[in-house]
Amino acid sequence: MVTRITQLPTLRIDPAQKVVFDYKGKDYAGFKGDTIATALYHNGVKIFGRSLKYHRPRGLYSLDGECSNTCMEVDGIPNVRTENTLLKQGMKVKEQNVKGSAENDMMGFIDKLDFMMPAGFYYRTMHKPAVLWPVAMKQIRKAAGIGTISPDFEMPGRFEQIFPSADVVVIGGGPAGMNAALAAADKGLRVVIMESRPWLGGFFDYRTVDYRDSEYKKNKQLYIRAKELASKVESHSGIRVFKHASVVGTYTNNLVTGFQIGGEKDNFTERYIEIRAKSVVVAAGCIERPLLFENNERPGVMQVGCVHRLARTYGIIAGERAVFSVGHDLGLEAAIDLFDLGMKILCVADVREDGQNPYLMIELAKRNILLLKGWVVSEAHGSKRVKGVTMTTLDGTISRDFECDLVAASAGFTPINGHLTLAHAKLRYDSHTNFFVADTMPERTYSAGRMLGLEDSLSIEVSGMLAGLKAALECKKFYDAGICKTSDGVANSQESINQLSSEIDTVTAKLKELPGTARGSKFVNAPVKGRKSFICFDEDTTIKNIKQAVEMGFDVPELIKRFTSAGTGPGQGGIPGHNLPLYVAKYTAAKNSSSGSHPKPTNVRPPLVPTFISTYAGRKHIMMKRTPMDQMQRADGGVFRKIGVWERARYFSNDFSCKKEIENVRNNVGMLDGSTLGKFRIHGPDALKALQRVYVSDMSKVKAGRIKYSAMCNDDGCVIDDGVVIKLGENDYYFTTSTARAGSTIEWIRYHTRFDGWDFYLVNLTDSMGVINLSGPNARKVLQKVISQDNDASIQDVSNEAFPFSGYREFMIKNTIPVKAMRLGFVGELSYELHVPSSYMVSLWNMVKEAGKEFNIQNFGVEAQNVLRMEKCHIILGQESEQRTNLLDLGLGFLWDRTKKDAKTIGAAALRHAENDPTRFRLVGFKMEDNGRAPNDGALIVDDKVRGYVCTARDSFTLNEAVGMALVESHLAEIGTRLAIFEDECKGELIYGKVVPMPFYDPDGRRMKS
Amino acid sequence: MFGKYKPMWGEKTQLKSSYDVVIIGGGLHSLATAYFLAKEHGITDVAIIEKNYIGFGGAGRNTAIVRANQRTQYNVPLYKEALDLWPVLTKELDYNLMFNNCGNLNLMHSEAAMKAARMTIATAQFHGVESHLIDAKEAKELVPALNISEDITYPIHGAMFHPPGGVVRHDAVVWGLARGAAKHGVEIHQQTEAIAINTSNGKIVSVETSRGSISTNKVLISAGGYSAGLIYKMLGIKLPISVLTIQAMVTQPVKPLLNHVVSSGAYHCYANQTLKGEIATGAHMDHWPNYTTQTTAHYIKHQAEALSEFLPCLRGLRFMRIWAGLADMTPDMAPILDGNDQIEGFYFNCGWGYFGFKSCTASGKYMAQFMADGEAPDMIKPFNLKRYEQHKLMGETAELVSYTPNN
Repeated sequence: MVTRITQLPTLRIDPAQKVVFDYKGKDYAGFKGDTIATALYHNGVKIFGRSLKYHRPRGLYSLDGECSNTCMEVDGIPNVRTENTLLKQGMKVKEQNVKGSAENDMMGFIDKLDFMMPAGFYYRTMHKPAVLWPVAMKQIRKAAGIGTISPDFEMPGRFEQIFPSADVVVIGGGPAGMNAALAAADKGLRVVIMESRPWLGGFFDYRTVDYRDSEYKKNKQLYIRAKELASKVESHSGIRVFKHASVVGTYTNNLVTGFQIGGEKDNFTERYIEIRAKSVVVAAGCIERPLLFENNERPGVMQVGCVHRLARTYGIIAGERAVFSVGHDLGLEAAIDLFDLGMKILCVADVREDGQNPYLMIELAKRNILLLKGWVVSEAHGSKRVKGVTMTTLDGTISRDFECDLVAASAGFTPINGHLTLAHAKLRYDSHTNFFVADTMPERTYSAGRMLGLEDSLSIEVSGMLAGLKAALECKKFYDAGICKTSDGVANSQESINQLSSEIDTVTAKLKELPGTARGSKFVNAPVKGRKSFICFDEDTTIKNIKQAVEMGFDVPELIKRFTSAGTGPGQGGIPGHNLPLYVAKYTAAKNSSSGSHPKPTNVRPPLVPTFISTYAGRKHIMMKRTPMDQMQRADGGVFRKIGVWERARYFSNDFSCKKEIENVRNNVGMLDGSTLGKFRIHGPDALKALQRVYVSDMSKVKAGRIKYSAMCNDDGCVIDDGVVIKLGENDYYFTTSTARAGSTIEWIRYHTRFDGWDFYLVNLTDSMGVINLSGPNARKVLQKVISQDNDASIQDVSNEAFPFSGYREFMIKNTIPVKAMRLGFVGELSYELHVPSSYMVSLWNMVKEAGKEFNIQNFGVEAQNVLRMEKCHIILGQESEQRTNLLDLGLGFLWDRTKKDAKTIGAAALRHAENDPTRFRLVGFKMEDNGRAPNDGALIVDDKVRGYVCTARDSFTLNEAVGMALVESHLAEIGTRLAIFEDECKGELIYGKVVPMPFYDPDGRRMKS
Repeated sequence: MFGKYKPMWGEKTQLKSSYDVVIIGGGLHSLATAYFLAKEHGITDVAIIEKNYIGFGGAGRNTAIVRANQRTQYNVPLYKEALDLWPVLTKELDYNLMFNNCGNLNLMHSEAAMKAARMTIATAQFHGVESHLIDAKEAKELVPALNISEDITYPIHGAMFHPPGGVVRHDAVVWGLARGAAKHGVEIHQQTEAIAINTSNGKIVSVETSRGSISTNKVLISAGGYSAGLIYKMLGIKLPISVLTIQAMVTQPVKPLLNHVVSSGAYHCYANQTLKGEIATGAHMDHWPNYTTQTTAHYIKHQAEALSEFLPCLRGLRFMRIWAGLADMTPDMAPILDGNDQIEGFYFNCGWGYFGFKSCTASGKYMAQFMADGEAPDMIKPFNLKRYEQHKLMGETAELVSYTPNN
């Protein structure tokens, strides 16, 4: 148990409120505000889990989740970064990747076997003899992976999403970010600021040194300044603050995505946030660059910021006896502050020979803290946790050992550039700051603060202000260009723009007077000959592995990353992102003077912070379209299926062969909801021209009062849609398309008419019109009853003469419901299709049902229709056709008008070509031999090769035999040809059919036409 | 135990002024072709010219799934051979390609899809490839994480189970083939850009590169997503190819959860677990032509939504990394392997879309034979360019042609 300091102004915990949680089956307590890891550390837990490959003990190293050291299973969720996950009452916490416990892991011996596992060893082993591999693979799979998730795991919690809009998005709620937000918001712009930690303040939040600035009161400490800024930001009406919200992606055109973790009072567990901003300010700050030395990830080795924040934010003094090995002033400052808080500091090694801040030197001296300039820690000792260190001079000539339990180690800083590079900024290595800096920035994106290399607190703030103003100016220009209008009517006169520009000049000048970028610490690799200096903790990649990879010909960091896995683990580039390119540049330069030594960064990819699938997905949203008849058909026993974007009644009983439905249509009358058909109106002076272009038939021949069935083909002559066309008036047509293709066909029509400058309107009526298909020998009687009441005599006459096959009529029912009625015969019976506005569908449906009662009218579903139309050999696109099936293959060549004048019919050229091609497929009808059963749809037609396939085949109740349609090579299309059919799982046992004339049912069409 | 560390694909050498064969592109199809040219046909004076580094493109960006359950009789034998080659090459190259033949489970979400699957399965079985239709319960036994309830957008009706498929370590194939090719004398020149191809009297004479001119009379362009652009730019041959971005992503690694590759056409989503434990997922392409490898915000979201439905336990995992690559799509989703026709000595191999990984070994083998003989072997004859002129698409996709920039 570590004692806590409970009285510090910088604390973010509430020592008065205990939080009890379960760790490995026992109750432990932390404080409100603790992260899981800080609470565990407080309870004496030093080893949080074991590493992926070597099963090395791993402890608290950072507090911002750069590596997986503190990943644990929490409430069944694997890989939770406990170092920055807030502790909650009742949490159940477990270690990961251990056999036994993290403290005593039976797999720990693997650490000694590293010589067997050089870079890419798995590519060179385990494949000889071949039988070894499957066995080895099983073991690899077991060994790989860190956490465990159960296949029946159900993610608890509520996952929301919001899509706010903003003028300026500021990424990072530190001093630079807050200044940027205030500067832009003060200009009247709507600002969103996103901060990963649960509070604003950034790296001011835990620091007590003076705010070194003459303009403010002396002796104001940084954390107080942070609080001032935070309260300004949070009370500003123009700024929306998202705390505990990480940005995970930045995309072209300033699209910013992230997620927020819900607090106690929020009604969400996490929520996805997506913002389209006009300008973006990136002020994401820095993380620490790990120091490379032997055992540099031993529990007890921590980043300086981690040690400092443990004390200042969480009240935990992380060790009894500490040594520091740093390369920057913040490290010195931390040592001084921690000394004052009671930490025993044995020595501070600074890799810099000179250049330290004199003020800090004095303070160190005042406290008698031993400062070793030009020294670095070279090795940490102790098997499970740090028991001591060896310090050496940079050249390794002198060394000293210290007994200690804490090593605060930090090589320098790494700017968090991910947000910029994802938005396509190009990075260059800057040898002054030793940072990768963005040379070319994405449009309307600005960066500020520490990530530029600034260290001085006022410089950081002013740089933020400047970025905020620049972002604001771009927004104003955006408004002025008429691209957007301000919501609050902020004046955007040239005057205000000029004023803003001059303000920017002033602030730019001010920034110039302040201290500029600090000199960054050079890459240092402790002079030690060991095997366990880790460049990537998550993948257990050592410096030695990197050397091996380079020797093997991998000379680009990105490739080395792939070969050695460095930076591909849960923490991605957090630990190796900066060191890997620096090390590779140094090593390749030493090895081969001709190759460039300029460090090349590795790729950064979204999400910048690992993000739950549940957070990206949000809540379940099943979006299917339902027809107006949905509920009524369900009430009638409809068995529904999701078909494309629709839910449709596929059957009306549990007999999926649909015998009753089929027989009722053949012998009586049935009704089907056809509302899913694509329905369109095209009108305007050039409507006919457009139809001539896309349909194969001569659409000028479409007559009023008649329907025309036709098809559309693509450039290859392949049928992409079919349906009927009705002429409503001059250059005014109503047409239908197949259900599945409705959306894309309309796009296709637009596409093929886009260059002509034609004047027409294309209106999608698919959802606004419903369709009732009334079919069967008694259909006429039912229709007669429905319309007899209120139409005049001429319309009431629906006799075959007055309303013949292929006829089209319009009438009103009860003087209210306008009906477009078509006489069709898809199912091969007397049949009417009634198109009415969707809102009248229920009424008309009820009327038809009522009128049909005396004939015992019944519903029929999509499958019954499928069989009915198959018996009639009417095709359904996608069933009797596929991508490569053209109009002629389907036997629909009669639809094609070759002589159309002044019209370039799409696909005509291909059809002309195909006419003379004997090698194409043909659609044929077939019967099974010897009264055999119908083959499976999709069965192959074969000889020694595949010669075609069965499209649809059924045991027909109507015909009392098995019939079907198949697409076959044309030499098999002759009537009487025997087809050998190969079904799945037939084990070579073929069944046979014979090509017969089509259609199978009512070949003369008498039933349909009379 | 591993001896000295030596450059795997040879020391960097000077580019010579002449080679028997120049191959543009340092991806899998190029490396495989070079390997088979050298090994099977004794043509070892081969230079691979790669602008970036080997495996930079699709070779290093695919999700490593291999299978031979394609739809047509032309494709199945080719992919079958590719599948059969993984263990053979592992041995030949003495490099562990880590073939995990865990089997592929292709989910079916409607009766219609189940029927469509029967044709694919029959085609596979007719050609001696194992593939079966199984119901939802059987699928759940294979992948306990599957959600087979009715309470999702596309309830699972069953699946097409293809046991011989699985996952191969894609990077290993790149490096293994490079090493194997180099052993037989092939030179691999990275950071070398091909700039132009010179012809004379309808014959290839030389290739201009950023490191000088190479005289040769045989050139192969197999540069993945960049092929169509290069072929048009250098030789004016226009191919019916649109280049689209395709994205993929992985979650943080977990202990074994998925023992098979699971894919779903309706959800446009597949998932498999890598040997490292990550769940790799991807599927559909962006809907617009694009030569960039940019990822988009909505793709990763779509993927999360889809996985949430049919593999709901994954909601507790985090996405760790998303990336993008290029897919060069032909109108019939089948590749173009052709050559020695438009220009003597010029060969090309492209249009693989997102099937380039699974096919690379067989494609390389037959392209090598093609280039050695000057005559296309029967296996790849159907993949000629002429089929488009003749309006005879291959039918690899059952779906009707949709609105794309091609039609």
